Amino acid sequence: MTQAASLDPASLDPDAAQRAIEYCYEQGWSDGLPLVPATRPLVDQFLAHTSRDPGEVIGTLEQVGRGCTVYLAAVNAAMAGCRPEYFPVVLAAFGALMAERAARGGGWQSTSGPAPLIVVNGPVRAELGFNATGGVFGPGFRANATVARAIGLIVRNAFGIHPHVLEQATQGVPGRWSICIAENEEESPWEPFSVGGGVPAGTSAVSATLLRTSEFVDNRHSHHPEDVLWDLADTISRTGAQIFKEASAGVVLCPEHAQMFAGAGYSRAAVQEWLMARCGRLPADLRRAGKGDLSKISPEDEARQAAAGAGEISRTMMSSRQLPVIVAGARNAAISMVVRVFGEWSGTAVPVEVPAEVTAGAPAGARAGTGTR
Amino acid sequence: MPNAILDPTGQADRTSAGPAFTLARRRPGLRGARVGLLVNTKRNADLLLEEVGRLLMKEQGAGSVMARTKLAFAQPVTEDMLTELTTGCDVVVTGVGDCGSCSASAVTDGIMLEGRGIPAAVICSDAFGASADAIASLRGAPGYRYLTTPHPVAVLTPDEVRDRARQLVGDIVSLLASGGASDGTADGEAAA
Repeated sequence: MTQAASLDPASLDPDAAQRAIEYCYEQGWSDGLPLVPATRPLVDQFLAHTSRDPGEVIGTLEQVGRGCTVYLAAVNAAMAGCRPEYFPVVLAAFGALMAERAARGGGWQSTSGPAPLIVVNGPVRAELGFNATGGVFGPGFRANATVARAIGLIVRNAFGIHPHVLEQATQGVPGRWSICIAENEEESPWEPFSVGGGVPAGTSAVSATLLRTSEFVDNRHSHHPEDVLWDLADTISRTGAQIFKEASAGVVLCPEHAQMFAGAGYSRAAVQEWLMARCGRLPADLRRAGKGDLSKISPEDEARQAAAGAGEISRTMMSSRQLPVIVAGARNAAISMVVRVFGEWSGTAVPVEVPAEVTAGAPAGARAGTGTR
Repeated sequence: MPNAILDPTGQADRTSAGPAFTLARRRPGLRGARVGLLVNTKRNADLLLEEVGRLLMKEQGAGSVMARTKLAFAQPVTEDMLTELTTGCDVVVTGVGDCGSCSASAVTDGIMLEGRGIPAAVICSDAFGASADAIASLRGAPGYRYLTTPHPVAVLTPDEVRDRARQLVGDIVSLLASGGASDGTADGEAAA
């Protein structure tokens, strides 16, 4: 694939391209949108951006007896519309996902139809054009859109998980295969998210998990950080999202909220602790929703608390790992997103490989991306 | 000559899979049989299988019942548990395939047990037939027969679960013993 600026429209054959796209549809390879037909020369450009062996198995789904190699990931990334230089990010994203128990288990087949959340940190964001600011949840940015789509195509094609067949989503999730956000490190008051995942600041890395949905919290007129924290806690604590006694969530803070918290002295950990102490519901609330068995408070303790006039909530999060905090979006309104993590997120960050040497034929954008990241 | 369009599945140039799948040889009946129950932890699976076990002992003269619980419903049974079942049981009943991943893995468990000579009766909710059929084909056993019970199972009361067990038990016997298998599958060939 070459830079758009170098393409001469007169040399292109759109009719042949359309036929090739239709062929891909006929094979059942598409997620519903047109695919870029992958050819050996194109896929070779992808493979030139990694030192890994094309035959290396980078993920297996034991329960369906299928696996994905570096080569198959490259074919699917090419079909998704990635540029070859995005490929190390695709590999890191897939590696991060496959490190999660939820994705190795039944996540891709689940009735909940969860969507990957891919978080990109480090210099690779600017080098490859990942959006970290306005409209960070998409669409509109090729790197964000196609890296996320590549994961979806790998699941469909390499793992063979098709909707209505091995994929049994009841309704699915808006934005499935399209949620790839870059952290807005420049406007975040805290260290990059990937640092908590084990990769030092300044090194490009990808973290990933599965989400059951994303829900906005619009709070742009409060002057007190605790007002905003209560607003977040209310969304995090809704009963509909709770299916076990504990439930992970996540918060993608807009820069304005993050800066407000930091300005009042809150570290990321302090935000997590504040929310963890207050997220959950009273046993009576859970009972009203037919979920009384999810309460961690015994009937005796509940009665004792009621007698003392101080009912306590059944807390849903006991570890900061159950409440990752990321900063992304534009600094133009105080709107943050609660993300509903499927299962548990280890938070592990996977470094993005910097190829020692990219072949001479690679586009300029890729060469600029080599060296120290 | 234009470049070929590459296949993203890795399946196009795959040579034919291993040996053809064959069902385990069936016993004439379940009298004296050691029955294994493989519980997948989906809600009501334990009670359903327990009741099936009780009925097989009481009405079919099964010799014993041994229940084991899977550690992860989304995954196939572990090798250790598979070995335990194949050495300690003559037939196995498993379920309930009541979600996307567990319906597929329940069928996989059944196919693995059959491959090791143990007749298996897999119970899925009827909402997950597509997933169950697809995994059977993927595992080289297209048309593998399993049992369905109307969806949903998770919301049933204990009495309703016992009713389901009662409704299923005749088919379970047919599936596990040659006395009830009249379609030739008892001779060791998977139904098409």
